[in-house]
Amino acid sequence: MTAGLVLLLLGLLLLSGSAFAAFCWAVGDGQLEHLERAPEVIFDAAEPIGEPGDCFPDARSRAAMAKAAERP
Amino acid sequence: MSDLLRSLDPGTPSDPRSYVERAEIDASLRGPVLLFFCSGIAWLLLGSLLGTLAAFKMSFPHLLDSADWLTFGRVRPAHLNIMIYGWASSVGIGVGIWLMARLCRVALRHRGLLMGAGVVWNLGVLIGTVGILAGQSRSIEWLEFPGWATPVLFLGYALIGVWGVIMFRFRRPGHVYVSQWYLLAAFLWFPWLYATANTLLIWQPVQGSVVGAVNWWYGHNVLGLWFTPIGLASAYYMIPKVIGRPIHSYYLSILGFWSLAFFYSWNGMHHLIGGPFPAWMISASVVASIMMFIPVLTVAINHHSTMRGHFHYLKWSPTLRFTVVGAMTYTLVSLQGSLMAIPSLNNLTHFTDYTIGHAHLGLYGFFTMTMFGAMYYIVPRLVGWEWPSATMIRWHFWLATSGIAIMVASLTLGGFLQGLELNDPEVLDFLSSVRVVAPFRFIRACSGILLSAAHLVFAVLFIRMLLRHGVRQVGPALFSAPEKPGDLPAV
Amino acid sequence: MNRLPLLFVGILLVFSTSWIGLVAYPYLNLGHLAPGTSSDGLVPPPMTASAIAGEHVYAANGCIYCHSQQVRPAWLSTDIQKGLGPRQTVARDYIRQSPTFLGTMRSGPDLSNIALRQPLPGWHYQHLYEPDMVTAGSIMPSFRFLFRVQPVQGQPSLEAVTVRGPHAPPSGYEVVPTQDARDLVAYLLSLKHDYPLPEAPEPPKAKK
Repeated sequence: MTAGLVLLLLGLLLLSGSAFAAFCWAVGDGQLEHLERAPEVIFDAAEPIGEPGDCFPDARSRAAMAKAAERP
Repeated sequence: MSDLLRSLDPGTPSDPRSYVERAEIDASLRGPVLLFFCSGIAWLLLGSLLGTLAAFKMSFPHLLDSADWLTFGRVRPAHLNIMIYGWASSVGIGVGIWLMARLCRVALRHRGLLMGAGVVWNLGVLIGTVGILAGQSRSIEWLEFPGWATPVLFLGYALIGVWGVIMFRFRRPGHVYVSQWYLLAAFLWFPWLYATANTLLIWQPVQGSVVGAVNWWYGHNVLGLWFTPIGLASAYYMIPKVIGRPIHSYYLSILGFWSLAFFYSWNGMHHLIGGPFPAWMISASVVASIMMFIPVLTVAINHHSTMRGHFHYLKWSPTLRFTVVGAMTYTLVSLQGSLMAIPSLNNLTHFTDYTIGHAHLGLYGFFTMTMFGAMYYIVPRLVGWEWPSATMIRWHFWLATSGIAIMVASLTLGGFLQGLELNDPEVLDFLSSVRVVAPFRFIRACSGILLSAAHLVFAVLFIRMLLRHGVRQVGPALFSAPEKPGDLPAV
Repeated sequence: MNRLPLLFVGILLVFSTSWIGLVAYPYLNLGHLAPGTSSDGLVPPPMTASAIAGEHVYAANGCIYCHSQQVRPAWLSTDIQKGLGPRQTVARDYIRQSPTFLGTMRSGPDLSNIALRQPLPGWHYQHLYEPDMVTAGSIMPSFRFLFRVQPVQGQPSLEAVTVRGPHAPPSGYEVVPTQDARDLVAYLLSLKHDYPLPEAPEPPKAKK
C-alpha cells in the first residue's frame, strides 16, 4: 500500500460518506419536484420564447431572423 | 474570512431589468473569458501547425528529420497535449464560466484571481509542451507533460474549479438548468481525474500493466466527463436560446445526464481489448460502451425534437450551425464508439488509423465545433460589438466542416483497410498494411491544411472583434444592454 | 429548490464506482505481482542498467505512437499466427517496465518480441540510423540524432555502424552510437517474452 493509494482511498471514503449523508437529507427534503417549467428558465421578458437570438452580421440574415420572430 | 465570503456573494442585482443584469454579468466576465478564449485560439493555431506537420511526416518520413525536437514521436504528443489542455480545456473553461455565470445570474467577483489562474494554466501548458519537445515526454497518452509541469496545471485548475463551484453556491434562487448540472459535474470531475491519474502514474507510479488501466480510465473519462459535459451544457443552452424555444423534454435531460455519469466512466478499458487484463474488466467496459446508447440517443432525441420545424434557422445563425453540427456529430461519434467496443469489430479497428479518425471526430467534430458555436454567441456579448464579417464566418464554417469531414473519412477508410491487412494471417509482410493506408494518410495531411486555414480565419475574426472593427448594430441583432436605462431593445 | 447536495452526491457516488472497478481493484489485484521462477532464473528476467536507461530514450522519443507492445490471445486475434510472439502477453510480463509501453497504434510492428525477430544489435543500429536502409518502404523517421559522425582514428571503431545510401558519412568518417542509442538498443534487445508463465500457456500450433 503506497502513500498515494492510502491518500486516494481516504479521500474516496470522506467524499462518498458526506455525499451519502447529503443524499439522505435531499430525499427527506423533497427535492425532485416541479420539472415542468424548468426549461423555460433561460427565457425572460427581454429575451422571450419565440424570439430568435443570433444571426450572421449581414442584412439577409437579419431580415430572415426578423421574419422568423413574427411567426407565431 | 467572513469578509472574504461576503465579498464573494454578489447579493441581489441593482437593476431588476433582466437585460441590464445580463449586461452587468457579461461585463464582469469580460477579462477572464476573453483571456481563456485568446489563449485557446493561440494554442489552436500552434496545435494545428504541429498536427499538420506530424501528418505530413507520416507521408514523407524524411521531412525535417535531423532535429531531435522535431521527430514525429515528439511532435505528435506535443500536438495532442496542446489541443487537449491548451485549446480545448481553455475554451471549455471560458465557455463554462460564462454559462455558469449567466445561468446562476451572478456577476464574477475577484476576477483578477481568475485571470491569474488562466495565466498559471497557460504557463503549465507552455512548460509542458517545451518539456515534450525537449525529450521529457512521459509517453503516457494524454498525460505526456513531464512531472514538473502537471502541478502547475493542477494549481491553475484548482483556482478555476473553485470559481465554478462558488458561482453555483451564490446563484439566484430558482430552478437549476440542465447545463448547470453538467458544468458543475465537469468542474468537480476533472480535478479528481487529473489528481488520480497523476498520482498513480507519475508521482507514485504503479506497477506494470495497471498503468494501462489507469491511463485509459483517465483518457476516456477526460473525454466523457470533462469535455462532453461542457459541450452538452453549451448545446443545451445555445440551441433553445437561438431558436427561441425551450428544450423539448426536460425529463429526457435528467435521464441523459445520470446515464452518462454512470456508464461513461466504465468505458476506459475498451482501449485495451485483448490486452493483459482480467476478462471481467474488459467485459464491463464493453457492456458500458454499448449502454452509452441510452444517454446518447436521449440527447439526440431531445435536440432533434427541439430543432424540429426550425432547421431553416441554420441558414442565418452561425452559433446554431456550429452547435448543431457539433451535436449531431456527438450522436454519430458516440454510436461509432459503442460499435468499436464490440470485440469482433474491435479486432479490425484496434491499432489502426480508424481510432485516430474516431478521436478527431469526437474532439473536433463534436467538441471544437460546439465551442466555435458558443464563442460566436458569447464574444459579441462580452465586447458589445457585432462580428465584423459574415463572409469570414462562412469561410470558417466551410473550411472547418470540409476539413474534418475529409480527415475523418480518409482515416476511417484507410484505417479499415489497414486493419484488414494487419489481421490477415496470410499476409506475412507488415509493410502491406503501411502501403495500403499510405494514400489515405496523405489525404488526411492535406485536410490538416484546410483546418489550419479555418483556424487562421477565425483567429483574424477574433482579433478584429477585439479591435472593434465591427459596426455596432441596433435591432434584432443587438447583443448588449442599451446605453441609457430608458432604452429598450427594438424587438 | 436546492439541488446542490443531491447533484454533488450523485456525481461522487457514480464516479467512485468506476474508480473502484478500474483503478483500485486492478491496483490491489495486479499492482504487486511477483516474478515467477524458471530453470534460467526469475521470469520475467531483470533488466540491465543500460536497458532501464533505454526505456527513458524510448519514452522521450515517442516510440509508442507507432509501436505497440502486447500480443493478444489466439482466441481473439491473429497476433500469434502472424508471429508477434509464441504466446499472449499477460500482466506479469510488464512488471519490470515503468511505465509500460503497451501502445495503441501499429503504424509500425508490435515490439513485444522484437529481440526474438532481430537479435543482433547491428541491425538495430542501422535501422535506427536510417530505417529504409534495412526495411525498404518504411515510414519510420530517422533517429540520426542518436548517433555521432566522427573522423576515423586510425582503425575504424568497433561500434561503427555500416551506413549506405544518402546519409552515409563522407570517406574518412564513421557513424558511432551515442550512449542514448546504446541504451535504446539494449532496451529493444530485452524485449522478448519467450519464457513460460503458468497463466499464459502457448496455444497449440495451427494445423496447415
